[in-house]
Amino acid sequence: MSFRETAPVPGAPRPYSFPHVTRHTLSNGLRVLVTENHNAPLLSMRVLVRSGADHDAAQTAGLASLAADLLDEGAGNRDAILLAEDLGLLGATLGTGADWDASYVSADVLSRNSEAAAEIFADVTRRPTLPEDGLERVRAERLNDLLQQRDEPTTIAAKRFSHLLYGTGTYGNSVTGSVESVSRIALDDVRRFYTQHYVPNNASIVITGDIEAARAIALVERLFADWTPGPEVPRPAVSPHAYDSSRIYIIDRPQAVQSEIRIGHLGVPRSCEDYFPLSVMNALLGGVFNSRINMNLRERHGYTYGARSQFAFRKQAGPFVVAAPVRNEVTRESVAEVLTELRNIRTGHVENHELDDTKSYLVGVFPASVQTASDVAGRLLDMELFGLPEDYFDRYRENIAAVSKEDIQRVAEKYLDPERALIVVVGNAAQIREPLGQLGLPVHEMDLEGNAVPIG
Amino acid sequence: MLAIQEHRLGNGLRVVLNEDHSAPLVAINLWYHVGSKNERRGRTGFAHLFEHMLFSGSQHVGNNEHFRHIQSVGGTLNGTTFFDRTNYYETMPSNYLALALWLESDRMGFFLPALTQEKLDIQRQVVKEERRQRYDNVPYGTAFERLLGLAYDPDYSYHWPTIGSMEDLEAATVDDIREFFATWYRPDNAVLSIVGDFATGEALELVEKYFGDIAAGGQFPRFDLQRTPAGQERRETHPSQVQLPRMYRLYHLPKMGDREWVHADLFTTVLASDKASRLERALVHDQQIAQDVSAYVLPTESTGMMIVQATAREGVQIEAIESAIDEEISRLATQGLSDDELVRAKTRAEIDFAHQLETFDSRADMLGMFATYFGDPMRCHDWMEPYQNATTDDLAHVARKYMIPENRVTSLFVPGERSVS
Repeated sequence: MSFRETAPVPGAPRPYSFPHVTRHTLSNGLRVLVTENHNAPLLSMRVLVRSGADHDAAQTAGLASLAADLLDEGAGNRDAILLAEDLGLLGATLGTGADWDASYVSADVLSRNSEAAAEIFADVTRRPTLPEDGLERVRAERLNDLLQQRDEPTTIAAKRFSHLLYGTGTYGNSVTGSVESVSRIALDDVRRFYTQHYVPNNASIVITGDIEAARAIALVERLFADWTPGPEVPRPAVSPHAYDSSRIYIIDRPQAVQSEIRIGHLGVPRSCEDYFPLSVMNALLGGVFNSRINMNLRERHGYTYGARSQFAFRKQAGPFVVAAPVRNEVTRESVAEVLTELRNIRTGHVENHELDDTKSYLVGVFPASVQTASDVAGRLLDMELFGLPEDYFDRYRENIAAVSKEDIQRVAEKYLDPERALIVVVGNAAQIREPLGQLGLPVHEMDLEGNAVPIG
Repeated sequence: MLAIQEHRLGNGLRVVLNEDHSAPLVAINLWYHVGSKNERRGRTGFAHLFEHMLFSGSQHVGNNEHFRHIQSVGGTLNGTTFFDRTNYYETMPSNYLALALWLESDRMGFFLPALTQEKLDIQRQVVKEERRQRYDNVPYGTAFERLLGLAYDPDYSYHWPTIGSMEDLEAATVDDIREFFATWYRPDNAVLSIVGDFATGEALELVEKYFGDIAAGGQFPRFDLQRTPAGQERRETHPSQVQLPRMYRLYHLPKMGDREWVHADLFTTVLASDKASRLERALVHDQQIAQDVSAYVLPTESTGMMIVQATAREGVQIEAIESAIDEEISRLATQGLSDDELVRAKTRAEIDFAHQLETFDSRADMLGMFATYFGDPMRCHDWMEPYQNATTDDLAHVARKYMIPENRVTSLFVPGERSVS
């Protein structure tokens, strides 16, 4: 039975390399990236437009995402229904959307229909009709979405946290906007956003999967070469609030049986020189199942089904945030445990095995995270959005492996700030306000819109 | 065509292998043929609670060491529980196949010596938080539970969802866990699928080494579920903390894989999939009375179910949504659908299936499913045939036969108990 006593010794690792990327730039500035993968009869196409909700003014928050929603309400000589019918016949799934820093058009298609699907894909990107009745449809849908969000604890927590950190400036308003801003957006606003930002010199195209690179590039040349470039539009800068001490904000949800907790502060931009040490430190702290925060709150205390920490790496400094839904009765204890973990990793000891386990996880899991054409496309979009070097994914694993214990302690100390944390709790105020008050931090209460409400 | 091999060990463990060297990875997926269906009334949530317990160590693997062994070499892992089965899986760098087999075999063969009251208490808390997070603290969270309660009699064990009730979770004892394990967790009730970068001969030797000496069990308790048709629609209106009313409906179907189940699957694509599908076009795009609609069949082994749900826009009565849906379904039942609609539905099924086979982990899961439910992993090769052969008449026929009031249940979530803020 001896072979059962200890873990088996692994075989020699098999070689892995990130797929070869073929690059090309059209004369209008449009960048094209292609990788081949002929294992499945599937193809992924993506357009990245390097402008997103970061360009939304507070008055018209939600504009970038509404513009993206309108792209498939009619394009070229097809209306919304005909677009859907023709894509359906080709076995193509079309998606459009916007996040903080970028807007996207995506299509996944059976590769035997690549050419025909690419033509529709080009129409949606370049020739959306942006019709008035389409705007009214997506607006009504959005307003109903916003109404539903009033009952979703995770959405409420995320919105209030962003707003407290960034105010009404960039990253402070929701990507989806508010009832007021969405009601205000006019078709001219949408058309102006589209015309300004959907230009080839502000875009990249990624094609991955079952197609030869040369054919993919010829296809892009044929469909996008006559797309007219436009002037560059600078990104509005974020203006985060600086808090000089930690504070708690409660948003009352009288029917809540769990408290949705967010604890964090300003993080760093994706371009931060400490990206690799930070990624490893966060994974060890709360980024993966076996991390300190999850093992503490879930496996040691049974407070939660899962707790995680994250640096939201964006073009500009996104937030660092720990998220945990916990039952009402242990809200105070959970907040205290998270703060303790944040303090411990800054001042305490990081064990060798913790660091080794975390690094080998991040190194080892990388190939599994890029199995599909769609996975690879997602990585290339990041590369284009954040301007990562061409050999970034080839060197990713060695960069992770190079992170040292000293790096972990240095970045924890430099980038974590548990004494100036924003603590947002969406939950049953009557049940949690008194225990939270015992933490010795100022406690404020606000409504769903962020207006202060008197305590009690 | 995928190169699939099937073997059976002396103790009854079925092994399904698909060698594929396109990435230096290996996916291991172990299906146990036990789920919430095998629970009894008053003892619900066991199969799922048990799944949690199986990550808390076994005789040669310490508490929480299972996760650590796999994550620390770059593997990913999880488990899932459904009505009819529970599965455990990991995707590993391919040189760690033996590690995964060591871990899976240790918890199959040597779980009980490591079981403690303390581990059960922690996981019971975690599962209760899972229930709060996914069911009790979110709008519409209990809808599926309510729908099942209407659709099946209390002694038909699809009557409750896999998460179980808080009371039953509270009542679970170490002895219950022990008995559950002894009854169901055995090699002759499992299928081990391995997909990826390995040599078949070596993999089989490893499987034999790690699993070969685990004893098979005796007889299984029999579970002949017989559903008694209600003969009329069961309905409820449920006031709840939601902003918009939503209709949840379940139509009874033959079980997964039957021809009519396949036809119903295609029919749901015609009903609700993209902007050109019937319900989305009529209710969301044209009339703009609904916020969203969806329709799908579930992969269930004992009996089939098709779910249709739709959310009313602000100010729209849910009854208006219901009658608009009934109208579209009866139009399809009486006038049929176009050839183009059928082609689109078949193409959608084809691309979905291609995606399910695309990654090693999802492919291993599919092979486990075919072997467990249909007794034959080779069903993978002809699974799409009934989809390809379906006609417009076939689809209209399932609409006429199954999408009728006496074969359905309906739960209407309507705003009530509004928050004071």
